[in-house]
Amino acid sequence: MASRLLLRPWPFPWLLALRYLKSTRRDAFASFLAAVAGLGIALGVAALILSLAVISGFQEALRGELLSRTPEILIDLPPGADAEAARAAVAGVVGVRSARLEVRGSGWIVDGGKVQPVELVGFEGPVPAFFPGAAGKAPGLYLPEGLATRWGIRPGETLDVVSPKPTLAPFGGPVPRVRSLPLAGTYTSGKTQDERERIGLPREVAESLLGRTNRKIEVTAGGLDAALAAAPDLAAALAPVAPGSVVRTWQDLNRPLLFALRLEKTLTFVAVFLIVLVATLALVASLSLVIASKRAEIGMLGAMGATGKTLERAFRTLGGLIAGIGLLLGGTGGVVAAWVLDHYKLLPVPGRVYFLDYVPFLVQGGDLAWVLLLTFALALLASTWAARRAAALDPLEAIHR
Amino acid sequence: MSVAVEARGVSKAYRDGARTVEVLRGASLSVAAGEIVAIVGPSGSGKSTFLHLLGGLDKADAGEIRIGGELLDGLSAARLAAFRNRTIGFVFQFHQLLPDFTALENVMLPGRIAGRPPAEVHERARDLLAEVGLSGRFDHFPNQLSGGERQRVAICRALALDPPLLLADEPTGNLDPATADQVFELLLELQSRHRTTAVLVTHNPEIAGRCARIARLDGGILEPDREVFGLPRDEEPRGAGAELEPPE
Repeated sequence: MASRLLLRPWPFPWLLALRYLKSTRRDAFASFLAAVAGLGIALGVAALILSLAVISGFQEALRGELLSRTPEILIDLPPGADAEAARAAVAGVVGVRSARLEVRGSGWIVDGGKVQPVELVGFEGPVPAFFPGAAGKAPGLYLPEGLATRWGIRPGETLDVVSPKPTLAPFGGPVPRVRSLPLAGTYTSGKTQDERERIGLPREVAESLLGRTNRKIEVTAGGLDAALAAAPDLAAALAPVAPGSVVRTWQDLNRPLLFALRLEKTLTFVAVFLIVLVATLALVASLSLVIASKRAEIGMLGAMGATGKTLERAFRTLGGLIAGIGLLLGGTGGVVAAWVLDHYKLLPVPGRVYFLDYVPFLVQGGDLAWVLLLTFALALLASTWAARRAAALDPLEAIHR
Repeated sequence: MSVAVEARGVSKAYRDGARTVEVLRGASLSVAAGEIVAIVGPSGSGKSTFLHLLGGLDKADAGEIRIGGELLDGLSAARLAAFRNRTIGFVFQFHQLLPDFTALENVMLPGRIAGRPPAEVHERARDLLAEVGLSGRFDHFPNQLSGGERQRVAICRALALDPPLLLADEPTGNLDPATADQVFELLLELQSRHRTTAVLVTHNPEIAGRCARIARLDGGILEPDREVFGLPRDEEPRGAGAELEPPE
């Protein structure tokens, strides 16, 4: 069957590249190297997609976990500010769903001989959303599940909450403030090792322990993005009523962790991209071999009037085609593998140790675009480098070698 | 269509390590439009080099070459490539067909490089191959063709864009005598039919003798052109050339 390639109205470099891509298969060495280059790129792209997907998957899960324990927006009120007026100002901002006063501070809980330093969170009304597992329950003392289990305390039993803030007693000098409270319930703690245990208790109790100095407003806006959008308006609304207030969103509150997650992803990208880098070197080798084995033909094309630019373009296109096939294979393979691994939960992990019972994969459009674009750009750059050699061939020398 | 070729005082030397080899020393040649000239001379006399200089494949150290009035020296690499594409058809000793392209496609290449419409290029290639009796070989790859057939395809490719100048470097040097004769006959026939100016390099005296004129290259100097029209085909052209040798 006669090929109709040369009858197609495509630019000449494309015709040459397409024919060489096809004919390369007949040359054992050239086809081997081209396959190595193409498969190397496919492998690199698939590895990039999968490793970024697993990081994204974990990050997404971790973020969900983490953010469920973090207020959407937390406002620190300056000492002496009118908390009620500030709360009213905050509640009036468009997008704000709820604004509740809160008191935070350090303290201890004591049960018999056991002492644990904790962060006291005094909240108003029902338990807020950042105590997962207990959210919405009636006010009272709430402990992390782990701590309650370790100490063997059940709801209903009484614990002492101690504040470092002393009360001056008429006799005997400063006395620490202590309140005895029955345990109302527990919440699931996702705390990392060096994070302090957090206990929840009604605001009045917390204020009696900590005083009225460390007051905050916890604001919900009905979502992470909504919270980010509302934050600037909150600062503006607070300026006249409580100047010196500090508005912190979930992003500000978790900045070190979010930064670490992003850094982890970036470093993984760089490390795995080395596979692609090696594959593009194979691409250079492959193109160089094709060019070396076709010296006489390239020379003849030059004698027939093909310019150096035309030849360069042809071999760059050939490199682009090999890389494109690799990208297509690797891209499809990576995305499909990520979907299958995630959907069928094929990689289990112990759920008691981690907060997940399988390895999640999440392919993000932006990541995919970066992987494909960067790989293709690098492949084109490498191809251009190799193709320059074809362009630089002296037709005469090439014909007579 | 044809063009006149004018070469004046062309010199060319190659550096071989510390040694400089002078190949051409002020060679001059003028070829009238439509004329066919054979350049003869012993091996290593610089025949091929001279032909390559005429074709703009190489640059002369001194002297000037004009093809159809155009001074080759003044052209940039890209313009020279376009000029070669438009003006010159090359035939080399070894056919230099592209093995990845069929006979028909090989003949289509110059047209596609020039950016001509594919249908027109295709038509022209078919006509040319038919003209040299290769109608049945369109879709054969070079390795499926005999030596004579390959060289015929190479000639068709050289004439694909109807160039006004044909340059042939030992076009039959790689063929057996009978095939060489056929192929050369064909070359002459096509040259006269297409009224192409032709310069060919050969060391085959019989073939040189069948050209309108012979120029002899020896010691890097091309003899002043001499009319050898009417030279009997069976006469030894070496004699004709010998008369042109410079006084020692």
